[in-house]
Amino acid sequence: MSMTTLAERAEIRAMARELASRELTPRAAALDAGDQDALHECWRLLVELGLDRALLGEQRAGAGLGTADLLATIEELAVGDAGIAMSVLLCNTALAALADEQLAGVPTGTRWTLAPAALGTELRISDGRLDGRIACALGAYDADGLVILPDGPAPLAWTLDTSAGGCKIERDLAQMGLRAAPAASIELAGVSCTAALSGADGGSAELGVAGALALLRAGTAAIAHGIARRAREMALEYAHARQQGGVAIIEHDAVSDMLAAMAVRLACWPQVAAADPAGLAIEEAQALAAKIAATDAAVMSTTDAVQVFGGTGYMVETGIEKLMRDAKYCQLFPEPNWAAHRELMRSERSGRAA
Amino acid sequence: MTSIARERSLGEQFPRLAANGGLDAPELQRLRARARRFAEEHLRPRALEIDRRTGEEPGWFDWNLVRAGAEHGMLSFLIPKPDGGAGGLATQAAVVMEELCAACPGIALIFGAHALGISPLLLGGPSQWDGVLAELVASECTGEPQLMACAITEPEAGTDVEDPDLLRLARITSHARRVPGGFRLSGTKRFISNGSVARWITILMPTDPRHAAETWTCFLVDTRSEGFAVSRVEHKMGQRACPAAELTFEDVFVPAERIVGREADGAAATTIVLACSRPPVGAIATGIARGAYERVLDWLHEDPTAKGLLERQHVQLALADMEEEIHLARQLYMDAATELDHAALGDAMSHPVVRSLAHVPASIRGRAPVRGWLHSDRARDATIALLHRTTSEHAVTRSLALSSMAKARGGDVAMRVTGAALELAGLRAGPVRAELEKLWRDAKLTQIYEGTNQLNRLEVYRGLCHEETIQCLPPLRRIHPDTDGKTRTNAHAHAHPDADTDRNASANGDGGRS
Repeated sequence: MSMTTLAERAEIRAMARELASRELTPRAAALDAGDQDALHECWRLLVELGLDRALLGEQRAGAGLGTADLLATIEELAVGDAGIAMSVLLCNTALAALADEQLAGVPTGTRWTLAPAALGTELRISDGRLDGRIACALGAYDADGLVILPDGPAPLAWTLDTSAGGCKIERDLAQMGLRAAPAASIELAGVSCTAALSGADGGSAELGVAGALALLRAGTAAIAHGIARRAREMALEYAHARQQGGVAIIEHDAVSDMLAAMAVRLACWPQVAAADPAGLAIEEAQALAAKIAATDAAVMSTTDAVQVFGGTGYMVETGIEKLMRDAKYCQLFPEPNWAAHRELMRSERSGRAA
Repeated sequence: MTSIARERSLGEQFPRLAANGGLDAPELQRLRARARRFAEEHLRPRALEIDRRTGEEPGWFDWNLVRAGAEHGMLSFLIPKPDGGAGGLATQAAVVMEELCAACPGIALIFGAHALGISPLLLGGPSQWDGVLAELVASECTGEPQLMACAITEPEAGTDVEDPDLLRLARITSHARRVPGGFRLSGTKRFISNGSVARWITILMPTDPRHAAETWTCFLVDTRSEGFAVSRVEHKMGQRACPAAELTFEDVFVPAERIVGREADGAAATTIVLACSRPPVGAIATGIARGAYERVLDWLHEDPTAKGLLERQHVQLALADMEEEIHLARQLYMDAATELDHAALGDAMSHPVVRSLAHVPASIRGRAPVRGWLHSDRARDATIALLHRTTSEHAVTRSLALSSMAKARGGDVAMRVTGAALELAGLRAGPVRAELEKLWRDAKLTQIYEGTNQLNRLEVYRGLCHEETIQCLPPLRRIHPDTDGKTRTNAHAHAHPDADTDRNASANGDGGRS
């Protein structure tokens, strides 16, 4: 893993910001409407920049970004479209969980995803075959490969070919948010799978199960922060332009109070710092706390942003209500925040016991 | 799927309301049962399908639902009994709305927007009760029901047109131009629920755009009129079954007798209409919250993927919190509706003159001399005078404040409860997730329509914290511009020495709020 300099880090962030504003924001409505051409075009651009495997080391044909850089990049992408940012996060996490020999078989440009089999999911593994069902797996529809993280303390993730026999993937048509990471329900009937080795266990993968979950949570926090930034930008612009009662609505305390609260939430965002800025390790409790705080803040800020827009904000064409839906999905992924609270306390209790 | 929560009687849960003759008053109970039956049979089974269809095709509308609603009397519960309706007021509208919204807020809004369109006619006095209201009841009986809508919002003016002070500064671009025999209406109205499907629309426009607030007037518009067009149907986040339309008026002719109330009384009429419509909006929000609560409770009890969750304290605390919130929201809207129906407008609606007029057979009221008198300035002034005798601006202001409180709190409760229910279920919950997501999307609108929650809370401040009295009754005297452009003072207004002039002193001033 190479160490990025401050200048390189700023450059990466600027590149992601440019991509978001030039390519993603203009396509956000089409992506939300499920336009597959827009999705493929965005993915092509991301692959061109190497963002699909940014987290992988250079020896694994990746860009070698550390966690901090990846999270900053994802946040910038989320300002343009949160679903695309989620796809990038899921693909990077899935590929980073693969062992060298597994990764070697993954063609460049393919889109992988990682499905944490959380609460209520029943998965059974026997003789290298998976049975069960996962509902609403983000990014799983039309994905080229899938890594499944079982619920509980299991040390292994499982990887499977989505075109394998017995694997039935159906588009989740009810998906409300993050629609550029198209969700699917996955039915598994004796699907052949391979264990993805845990890095912590000495395998060649860059992430272990715990590391992958921590990265998903920290990444979701970064996406939520990007959504909240975009919501405030749009609300602020509208509040200056829209007049009610003879003045711009930003002159009304009722509106300026909401904008101020959005700014406060952005300023108080608990950024996740990797223990080693160049490395991948994220403390579990820190990632959980960041995810809970950032996603709750994003839901509040996007809800307020729609309120600033009033009736106009409730209309799909303005694009502000989409942010509210995206933020709500961040609150529910990889687990609902109430379950994240429970995990946080489990983590604290186990730390104390140790 | 049976719901444990739904099986309980509201009266059992709320003995104070029952003791007050509120929710358990027999007639109200029957209405609620009828609304619930309609909701369970027709709304809930089709809610997701219609939401999906209208999400793809916003102009699509299901008239079969309206026909089914007509069979259950959902289009006439506000229409006076002598005209064939159920003679309900805010309480009845609120109870119906909660029941329908617990099943599907989008479909419920079709009936809510229809009731909103009717409200100005009810308040406009007996001259408005024949004709369109009778036609609505007749259409309900024939199986080819007609819908109404109310159009206030404009592209450049939204929340501010719902507040008499802000209205003075609002960027109103519509205009009702006086012409021989009536008015010609021009302009655009936006986000009008039922706008694309309504047969009749009550609409507010100024007769002098330079003085919009002072000349704000309510008209009854036939949507078959030349010059009326639906320019677009919006693609909404939620409550999609009820279309929100942009309406264009190009010199649409409206005869003078279709002014609702009197010319220039629109600002006061809007205030009273909002006092009437906000308790039902609080009920809409309560119904949405209840729908989410019932669904998540059913899921927790019955779905294998939720096994064990009910044993967790977190889940128990979250459910208890939802119960609390729903209970309080319901209490607020019932208090507001009761205040409006009994303290603010009850005496007016049950006044002997109104009752006896209503009992005059429609065949007699329809005769030219009687009809001519009912539509005369004298009769319209008499309606206002009766309103002044039976209520006060203080009572209506207080009622508006309570209504606004119920609406704002209800909207917040709907957002909190649907959000919490969705969080309990999570992304893995299966089919119930789609229902909860829909209710969450639906809930957001309750914080916006009928004035944003922020505006509503300012009304609470004015009416309850600051004890202001808003000029919310039309003045006894009104200057009537003649068709030739000259003006005359209505002499009849001076002939009301018995009007409670002390109590209503502010109505005759021009200070807005006293």
